[in-house]
Amino acid sequence: MAINTPSHGPETDSPLPPDTEGAHTGETGRRKRLSPAKLYLRRFTRNRPALAGLVLFFLLVLFSIVGPFLTHWNYQEADFTSLSVAPGVDGHLFGTNGAGNDTYAQLVHGLSRSIIIAVSVSLLTTTIAALFGTTAAYFGGKVERAMLGFVHFLLILPSFLIIALVGTHYRGQWQVLVVVLTVFGWMLTSRVIWSLATSLREREYVMAARFMGVSPLRTILRHLVPNIGSLLIVTFTLGVASTVQAETALSFIGFGVKQPDVSLGTMLADGQHTLSTAPWLFYLPAVMVVLLTVAMALIGDGLRDALDPTSQSGGRA
Amino acid sequence: MLRYIARKAVGWFLMIVLATNLTYFLANAFLKPASNYTALRPPRTPAQINHSLALYNLNPNTPVLDRWWHWMSGIVLHFDWGRSPTGGSVNDQVAYRILVSGQLVLGSTILAIVFGVALGVYTASRQYKFSDRAWQGLSVLSFNTPSAVAALAVVLGAIALNQALGTTLLPVAGAQNPDVSGFWGVFASRFTHAILPTISLTFISYAGYHLLQRSLLLDHINSDYVRTARAKGLTRQQAIYRHGLRTSIIPVATQVAFAMPALFTGAVITETVFAWHGMGEYFVKTISTNDVHGAVAVAAFGALMTAIGAILADVVIVALDPRIRVS
Amino acid sequence: MIDQRTVASESGTAQPLLSVRDLKVTFPSEAGRVDAVRGVSFDLHRGRTLGIVGESGSGKSVTSMALMGLLPDYASVSGHATLGEDNLLELDDKQLSKVRGRQMGMIFQDPLSSLTPIFSIGSQIVEALQIHQNLSSAAAWKRAVELLDLVGIPNPDRRAKGFPHEFSGGMRQRAVIAMAIANDPDLIIADEPTTALDVTVQAQILDVLKTAQRETGAAVIMITHDLGVVAGSADDVVVMYAGRSVERAPVDQLFAAPRMPYTIGLMGAIPRLDSSGRDALVPVPGTPPLLVDLADACPFADRCPVVEDACREAEPPLSPVGGAEAETTAAAHLTACRRSAEISDGAIDGATVYPVPERRVTENALSSGEERRTVLELSGVTKTFPLTKGGLLKRRVGTVFAVNGIDLTIHEGETLGLVGESGCGKTTTLLEIMGLRPPEQGRIAIRGRDVAELRRKQDISEVRRDIQMVFQDPMGSLDPRMTVFDILAEPLRAVGERDKKKIAAQVAELMDLVGLDPEHHERFPAAFSGGQRQRIGIARALATRPKLLILDEPVSALDVSVQAGVINLLNDLKAELGLSYLFVAHDLSVVRHISDRVAVMYLGRIVETGSTDAVFNKPRHPYTRALLSAIPLPDPVAERTRERILLKGDLPSPTDDRPGCGFITRCPLHLTLSDPQKEQCRGVTPRLTERGRQDHRDACHFADTFTTADS
Repeated sequence: MAINTPSHGPETDSPLPPDTEGAHTGETGRRKRLSPAKLYLRRFTRNRPALAGLVLFFLLVLFSIVGPFLTHWNYQEADFTSLSVAPGVDGHLFGTNGAGNDTYAQLVHGLSRSIIIAVSVSLLTTTIAALFGTTAAYFGGKVERAMLGFVHFLLILPSFLIIALVGTHYRGQWQVLVVVLTVFGWMLTSRVIWSLATSLREREYVMAARFMGVSPLRTILRHLVPNIGSLLIVTFTLGVASTVQAETALSFIGFGVKQPDVSLGTMLADGQHTLSTAPWLFYLPAVMVVLLTVAMALIGDGLRDALDPTSQSGGRA
Repeated sequence: MLRYIARKAVGWFLMIVLATNLTYFLANAFLKPASNYTALRPPRTPAQINHSLALYNLNPNTPVLDRWWHWMSGIVLHFDWGRSPTGGSVNDQVAYRILVSGQLVLGSTILAIVFGVALGVYTASRQYKFSDRAWQGLSVLSFNTPSAVAALAVVLGAIALNQALGTTLLPVAGAQNPDVSGFWGVFASRFTHAILPTISLTFISYAGYHLLQRSLLLDHINSDYVRTARAKGLTRQQAIYRHGLRTSIIPVATQVAFAMPALFTGAVITETVFAWHGMGEYFVKTISTNDVHGAVAVAAFGALMTAIGAILADVVIVALDPRIRVS
Repeated sequence: MIDQRTVASESGTAQPLLSVRDLKVTFPSEAGRVDAVRGVSFDLHRGRTLGIVGESGSGKSVTSMALMGLLPDYASVSGHATLGEDNLLELDDKQLSKVRGRQMGMIFQDPLSSLTPIFSIGSQIVEALQIHQNLSSAAAWKRAVELLDLVGIPNPDRRAKGFPHEFSGGMRQRAVIAMAIANDPDLIIADEPTTALDVTVQAQILDVLKTAQRETGAAVIMITHDLGVVAGSADDVVVMYAGRSVERAPVDQLFAAPRMPYTIGLMGAIPRLDSSGRDALVPVPGTPPLLVDLADACPFADRCPVVEDACREAEPPLSPVGGAEAETTAAAHLTACRRSAEISDGAIDGATVYPVPERRVTENALSSGEERRTVLELSGVTKTFPLTKGGLLKRRVGTVFAVNGIDLTIHEGETLGLVGESGCGKTTTLLEIMGLRPPEQGRIAIRGRDVAELRRKQDISEVRRDIQMVFQDPMGSLDPRMTVFDILAEPLRAVGERDKKKIAAQVAELMDLVGLDPEHHERFPAAFSGGQRQRIGIARALATRPKLLILDEPVSALDVSVQAGVINLLNDLKAELGLSYLFVAHDLSVVRHISDRVAVMYLGRIVETGSTDAVFNKPRHPYTRALLSAIPLPDPVAERTRERILLKGDLPSPTDDRPGCGFITRCPLHLTLSDPQKEQCRGVTPRLTERGRQDHRDACHFADTFTTADS
């Protein structure tokens, strides 16, 4: 990110601006050829915010895995001798809530719950969106119109309402939450992927595959999906951030994860009533969730810059 | 143009009808209006409960298709969206809450757009300089802050401020004081009550416009026609403002058009935290009180706003972009 | 306004208008510092035209951008470029903006993207005027309309209100020229102004540029890769290679007696429209060097056939040929080659610098076409598209006849060249053939099998094996995420080959066949140069051992020096494997070189067809004649003397199947006809008719009158 360097590597197929033709010769890759992975790594590591995001995410995951072993409190267990104690009191590192649950134990559990939900939802939505979008783009014509019509219909469905209904019905089981968040979470992404894949469809190598008699499924899997690979990685990362937000919001208003299970969202909901009396019940999960989403967003932006040679922005498009 | 809009509107309308009916059946399957009566003292028999519910077309013993027919004809013939399990009119609730939400969200949306777009332009022409990076860092942070966190943080700050001042300068709950009167009194009260939610809403929504405008403008800064404009004798800055900005603002404007109607669907979290009785809060309330008709009405209203937004976005594109003029 | 013309345009006597000394441009890159321009110097006088020629990556465009101050911030520029009083390279953006557009105007390569899409053409010219002149809006608009008229835009009054997307490429380029000359500049820089345009439009634009130069008396820098364009328009030429000028001379001298092996190679590699020779072309071997960490040596040494050890020891400076005596005169011939004094007439020590490569197989004598098997037959094939109007609401307002009842026949071992301007229906024809679906009307048969009768999957895949396609863009046609091995194995797997060893053996064989090292099969396409990538594309097409290759502009994206090698390869493969080609190209010189027969297409119809020599030597249809005459020859003398038929206007859209000749809107012959004859052109669709010579047919009612009147 330090300098806007002219591109090379396996993606030099993008139209090159004539004004820097000298710097851009496709031959640049040959003598000092960096493998694509090395090039991406170099670009990514030069992006300090992205690197910080990666380290942060790594630490958060580590914390959610190792954390439970560092305390003898269980997140469900209530210590009736110390209700709503401040951090550090009675051997509760981060204090307790009004019911006597250890905040540290809850925080660790809530974090891992939020991470699991976000990562699985994002993985599923990205996969569905990629297959759906590229399939629609590959076939074009009526198939495409029908598939897009379906997406539009799903978009106009009151997804938040349905998620809330189903989530409440199943008493906030996180697996159910993963399913409904996935079912209503892939459409916008698949539209983005579709619009990108329609330009790939016109690429000559896809036409070549068609003319060689390569089967549609194979063409989609071998040509279309790999060539939007960088977009998929970025989508996945940003999807984690946005799912954390969605899950937090749902749990916050009581339609997501429910007692006795704990997520960062439910902790925030609990914390809101004791803002002035027990503020740590708010700011600990708040800091955690912001760190998590911001870390993923930074990684996503960094990947976008690293993987896309035409990208000039660290911003969101 | 009008024909185009009409055709699109018909398509959207059919989708809304379909989606709304689907929601009706889903809501009937998942919501149990009877539970509103089970907790009442003295306890009522199931027959009594069903009798009460039957008054509002919610009796679970009536076949769902019959209830649907009744509900549907009420909408088509009288535009009556039904009653809540306790007998409140959905129409009245929605009509009142739309205004509350609009009032709450309008200010923050305008602020977010103005602030976000201005910031996008400002930072794009200073790409990779310190101010760009600093603003971008803040925007990434705010964009990724869950609204609950933002709203509660604002409340926390306001509480601290109020305690420090010793008076309630910034009220943290409600839309207005119940005990003020007179036009100016009400106005002042509403204004002060709106400050905190507006801040928190603006904080979480400006960044989207900032980052979008910035990256669009950056795409256009390197375009051939900005180069041509410079070759004509414009400086880089002039070329960016006269040619790049005008072109890059089109997608932002469509985004704004899309977002505007969503004003009236309210902001669920913010309304919950600040105790504003708007559409967002109504939405949560309908689900938690098993209000089938209310929930479906909110869903239909949301779909309608999405449709209006989409059509508005099309209109904006046509108005701004000569390439897409419909003859 | 035209007083500049009174200034002595005699070069060498007056102060030069623009004087560039030791211009250097570098860019940072992942691989290190790229030295894009490495010390370019030249003088340019008023009224003169300097041609800068070079292949992609030679630094010619960067040079012009540096002069205009339009390079990105991260480029670092050094040297002197004196225009009038100022050193352009030292001015900041604000000071330069006073010079740009006023003293220097610029014309860019891609007219489609170089105008702001949301402002009207007129207002963009008005802006150019008002930046530098204190004009009222009304006066500026009036002047803008005059300028549009000057550059040949019909109905300028009305068209000035139009938006760029309503203009064709040629018309947009005219508008860009109008903008560039709006403030009467002293210098016009044209950066590949016609590369994106069709030949007939290219001829018009070059003409407009000459008009513009005459009107303003400006000096012109013409940057191009096309030696033909330079021959026709430049007074002096600079040949650039690897960021430096390697040869500089007046145009006649350069073309008559090039002294630098690279220039000689470039000229030898071009297929000539004016020679019917079918000999192998002479490619320049190798590829240009990376402009990173260049050693102090002649950058051409690795590709040079007459390289000496000394060439690798130091980079030769640009110096006068044959000592210093000619240095001061403008007619100086300078080269950056140690051996240029030894070179004359493309030969060194009596031997040609570039020996003509041997054909791998001599062409088997052509027997009469009719006796051979027919590989591809199209009769009456038609393809239409709905013509829609409006951006959002697509209303069908008519039908575009992209292909309108064409007949084509290709025999075994034969190459049919299909030529025409973009939009004439060439590509649609190809896609119709490759789709293997029954056409809307007419019949397509491949090796005697009607595609309409292909029902079973197995039948279709059998036919697919026989017919394969090579695409235009060697980068776009290869999946960047697949290795060469996977790319070549894909068609084999698609026809059901599963045996890994067999696939590996065939891939190696294919790579060898097209002149690639089979060792490189694990590499990705990005690791190869443009010419090598096109060879991979050809190898992939050959994988299923087809009988017919469809070649869609296979060399138009390649540099001249590389193009020759690919053309030679295609000719060799054809002879070796007994292939037939359907060769689609807009470059008639290439078509002439490779085809046995030619079909000329206009608005979805074939207007003339016949053996290559017949069509090129005795073109009959006025369109073919115009097309041939529009192509610039890489020979300044011939360029100056030959007569041009300039077509007016652009290719119209082939809407609706009205009777009558489609060419009348642009036909120069039509204008000379009597009224009843004109009536016939308008009312009766001309059919392809044979006249006298066998196998040479044209679709013009009055081709005879034309031919006789002319000869």
